[in-house]
Amino acid sequence: MSSGITRRALVTAAALGIAGVSVGAWPRLSGADIPGRHAKGLRVAILGNSADAEARRGIAEAFMREHPDIPVHLQAIQGADWKDFFAKILTMVAAGNAPDVVYVATEGTQLFAEKLAEPLDSYVQRDAQQVAEYFADVHPSLIEAFMYRGSLFQMPLDFNAANMYLNSSTLRRAGLEYPPAEWTWDDFESMMRGMKKREGRGFTPYYWTNRLFGGVVPWLYTNDTSFLTETRAQGGSWLWNGFYRGEATKTPRSGGYLWENPNAEDPKVLETFEFLRDLVDQGLAVRPEGGGGNSLVGLFANGKIGAAPAGGYWVDGLVQGGMGPKDFDVQFFPGQRSQRHQFGAAGYAIMRDSKLKDEAWEWVKFTARRDQMLTMFDRPNTTPTRRSMVNEAFYAKTGPQHWKVFYDTLDRFPTSGPIPAPPQQAAIETALMKNVTNAVGGSRAQTRQALGALQRDLELAMRSV
Amino acid sequence: MARVTNLATMTPAGRTRSWRIFAWILIAPTVIGMLLFTVVPIIGSLLLAFFRWDIMSAPEFVGLQNFAEAVSSPTVRVSFLNTIAFVVVAATLQLGIALMLAVLVQEKMPNWLRVFFRSVFFFPLILSAASVSIFMSYLFNEQFGVVNWLLSLVNIPAVPWLTTSSGSAAVIILVYVWQNFGFSFLLFLGGLSSIPKDMYEAAELDGAGGWGKLVHVTMPLLSPTTLVASVMAVINALQVFDQPYVLTRGGPGDSTRTAVMVIFESAFQKLEFGLASAIGLILMILIMFVTYIQFRLSRRFVFYQ
Repeated sequence: MSSGITRRALVTAAALGIAGVSVGAWPRLSGADIPGRHAKGLRVAILGNSADAEARRGIAEAFMREHPDIPVHLQAIQGADWKDFFAKILTMVAAGNAPDVVYVATEGTQLFAEKLAEPLDSYVQRDAQQVAEYFADVHPSLIEAFMYRGSLFQMPLDFNAANMYLNSSTLRRAGLEYPPAEWTWDDFESMMRGMKKREGRGFTPYYWTNRLFGGVVPWLYTNDTSFLTETRAQGGSWLWNGFYRGEATKTPRSGGYLWENPNAEDPKVLETFEFLRDLVDQGLAVRPEGGGGNSLVGLFANGKIGAAPAGGYWVDGLVQGGMGPKDFDVQFFPGQRSQRHQFGAAGYAIMRDSKLKDEAWEWVKFTARRDQMLTMFDRPNTTPTRRSMVNEAFYAKTGPQHWKVFYDTLDRFPTSGPIPAPPQQAAIETALMKNVTNAVGGSRAQTRQALGALQRDLELAMRSV
Repeated sequence: MARVTNLATMTPAGRTRSWRIFAWILIAPTVIGMLLFTVVPIIGSLLLAFFRWDIMSAPEFVGLQNFAEAVSSPTVRVSFLNTIAFVVVAATLQLGIALMLAVLVQEKMPNWLRVFFRSVFFFPLILSAASVSIFMSYLFNEQFGVVNWLLSLVNIPAVPWLTTSSGSAAVIILVYVWQNFGFSFLLFLGGLSSIPKDMYEAAELDGAGGWGKLVHVTMPLLSPTTLVASVMAVINALQVFDQPYVLTRGGPGDSTRTAVMVIFESAFQKLEFGLASAIGLILMILIMFVTYIQFRLSRRFVFYQ
């Protein structure tokens, strides 16, 4: 039977084949070259770029020296924020390419606990002697934030409370004093007014962002409320009795936070939003959606902003922006009905479907050691969870003068709580961001209306996941 | 056993068959790519629209529930209305500006300037939309943006570009049109250069002026290009995502939330992949409907030489 293929066609096909093979043989980057992909060993995913992965290379190498049988592959996954990062991790899970360990912030703790992460309870109890020193050095409020329905899912390594940064030069120029620890919303408003009066056009006294951390939530917490109801789960006594026997009697601890219902129409929520709306209306605060993240540090360092909510992670950025130790300072968040602070923290979570859970636990334990945390946090671009590391030496070159505020927040206000992030965090944050803009950017009537919309959106969001 | 034969000695039927096989071999990579990366995902998405799936648990069949949820959701409704309003304004501006500039460049510019403008206008298109949007968010920042600084020089008070509904919509449209009109411009330029010169000479002999030539020669003969440009502009605009996502995240409120943003949020933030697929399917039907209407209308206004 004739194939019908001509000699010319055959020669052409052969030539194309040879060309293809030649091109294919060239060394080139492919999906297989993505660090950690399909690699054998422990795959550790972090939020960041290759430079962030490189910064942890030393810890990975130190780990492999102690555990030569556990190769570690750091996977830096870029994302605009934690929400974006979690979406990418979920995509990896869906693609059957999930990492073994993921560095998860409070924003994602309950999502991971509910769907993806392995409880650490049995590991912690098994190696209680080895980890006792860690718990002795870390405030129980931070640990409680990583409990979910009675189980511990992460050992937090760094945290940031929403404290109030103040531009010292602006304060001096306006003839204002560094505020006392117990200052109030009224004191804050009057300080912002003083700054605005002195600096005038082109200056914004209070800059803030529209997100779960550092947005409206610190204001809600200090008014003894939140946009979600907050209850505590039972359980966790194995941990509190085992590691915090003395502490737990002072402040009752639980099996973790539960945010199960919307609470946007609470009168105290309305009161908080009206206060913030008035600040915006008077030109004392920027509208939160205008206070986007990356520009904030630069503007503060350039004296365009008087105050902003942030944690210890800001120090390094301000110094790099040219500020000296006396150019900025930090104080507790101003109080209203309470002075309960909001904080966020992060630590490694072991993935439930990982085949290397024991190895992953070794990594979790290793990275929580003091010597490794000293390597990881060598400059104040976040606040280490270990009390012993938040010391004068850590802030000696950078300031601020009142650096003790960072950890004292937890001691002084032991009921301070984490970012309200139930498993539906992404949908919750979207609903919050969407309605905050309307609630603080329009008329008083619009504030009430926007909170009604927020309540409805939160009800819908709580149904997801 | 297969035998290699010379094309000249083959029968016409055998020759046709062998060329057909060879043609299939050549287009096979593209066809396989299309099947794998376009057709299969479309079928997958179609099926997924009838399930509730959050990646981690097994999919659960829910019938038409996702469609019912999509249709009844105020956010989805608003996002589609926003998208349609965006398409009307953005596509009109994109095509209008591109056509105007193309006519100007083709008729008034020497060849070397034509090449220059072709590159200049096309350049924004090769930039990443996300990067452009980040850059624009700085330019249009109410407090420290260059735009408001320039306005302040002429005593115009700061405009809340990205924090009001109208300001946000205006900036998103501006950024989108700036980045995309270059493609339509190139299409129009190509179409204009293919119009025979003698058509214009004939029109001039008949007494047509500049406007007359534009209306009676350029526009009719450019209509096939206009159809292609408008279909592409509308399809692209219906899928707008990067600019509103980066510039406003859909806000204030839902005022700049678009259909594709809701698909993204449903899938990757709410983990409702079934709902996202259902909304995607509705968007696909809308795109097909709009394209169909455009082709139907084209029968009336498109002239082929």
